[in-house]
Amino acid sequence: MTLRRTVLPNMPSSSSLTKGLLRHGVVACIAISLALAATPTLAGSRILGTGGVSAIEGAAGGGLSPWAMLSSTASEQEVGVTASATRAWVDDYRLTVSGASVNIYDRVEVSVARQTLDLDTLGGELEQDIYGAKIRLLGDVLYHPWGIWSVGIQHKRLVDGTTPTALGADETRGTDAYLSASKLLFSAFAGRNVLLNASLRNTDANQGGLLGFGGDQGNRAWVAEGSVGVFVTPQWVIGTEYRQKPDNLSVAREDDWQSLYSAYFFNKHLSLTGAWLDLGDIAGLPSQRGGYLSLQAAF
Amino acid sequence: MRRCLIALLFAGSAFTLAGCAHHSTSTTLYERLGGETSIDGVVENFLYRIADDADMVGFFANTNIDYFAASLASKLCDVSDGPCRYEGPPMDRAHQNMGLTDVHFNRLVEHLDAAMQEEGIGLRARNELLGRLAPMYSEVIRLQ
Repeated sequence: MTLRRTVLPNMPSSSSLTKGLLRHGVVACIAISLALAATPTLAGSRILGTGGVSAIEGAAGGGLSPWAMLSSTASEQEVGVTASATRAWVDDYRLTVSGASVNIYDRVEVSVARQTLDLDTLGGELEQDIYGAKIRLLGDVLYHPWGIWSVGIQHKRLVDGTTPTALGADETRGTDAYLSASKLLFSAFAGRNVLLNASLRNTDANQGGLLGFGGDQGNRAWVAEGSVGVFVTPQWVIGTEYRQKPDNLSVAREDDWQSLYSAYFFNKHLSLTGAWLDLGDIAGLPSQRGGYLSLQAAF
Repeated sequence: MRRCLIALLFAGSAFTLAGCAHHSTSTTLYERLGGETSIDGVVENFLYRIADDADMVGFFANTNIDYFAASLASKLCDVSDGPCRYEGPPMDRAHQNMGLTDVHFNRLVEHLDAAMQEEGIGLRARNELLGRLAPMYSEVIRLQ
């Protein structure tokens, strides 16, 4: 809770972000206790920034999309834990995400996330839980010529599927599977290191699952996601992400998502990500744009 | 249409970045690192950091430190296109059966970067040297 006192008061809408954090404070507390119990040296030995930040579905990534790296800086024989609080504001919606993840030996990442989408204009809210697992197949983002390759799944369950079902969604739960590759290119742009990431995702989730799964216009499909980031300093990366999306509901046209982001790693334990989002049409309301803030603690 | 343009821009910037990776400057990395004096300074700084690191110092218990320092300096000089040829043992043999893991490799990278930083070497040259050393990971770890 020291984090809350020292960092959050400087940020906009700190009380709402704090509320999101507290709502799932139990998860955070478990995460922090696990961290204290499991890691003798508290910080993992991987290089700063190589765990990315928390993506909105709980996995390590860049915000919108999961990356191949596993969360925290845990390496071989180390266990890492992260907890994150995220808030996105676009024209007619507000998304709050509380997430936690465990990285075991830099081989397996397990994550949970609770997403709450407040429908500011339409009224009401949509909520879903996401249980994720990611396995590093091979490589390393810094040292391997092919970078790091991982596969993952994300099982998503809507808390109340009434609205998505009314919009034409087939299911209120679904599972995404993805293959992701990430690679850092040393000194690739103006002497700065450049981080590339590409993912292929098999999904039937509408708006990431918040509008249910499948629909009258289609079902499972492969979509592509990608990002480019430049480490301006070893602690600060700026970049852009793009996430292709399915378009399964005829009454709620869906667009691809994109962002411009800036993530700052204060140290191996704390990062703050800000982004500008363009999420396109969501549930009949056009051109949703806005801001994004995410705070991650890692042990 | 707008989205298509943005996607193109995205792809375009990726290619531009890849293109920049092949752009070379006329001075050698060795010169940009500050030459022999600077590299010797980095090596010394690096060794002090290892000496202070309880997890790492054990690996050097039976090492002739003067020989190691000279060998490392010549490796860095060679790798950065300086006027030296590294004539020490190959990386896999030099590290074989030491029980090194990613934890140790990462720690060395952190110590080396911190040493370069403290010796006043700029971000560009640091990144470039780390980029040339990174592929040695597979050799160092191969015979563990």
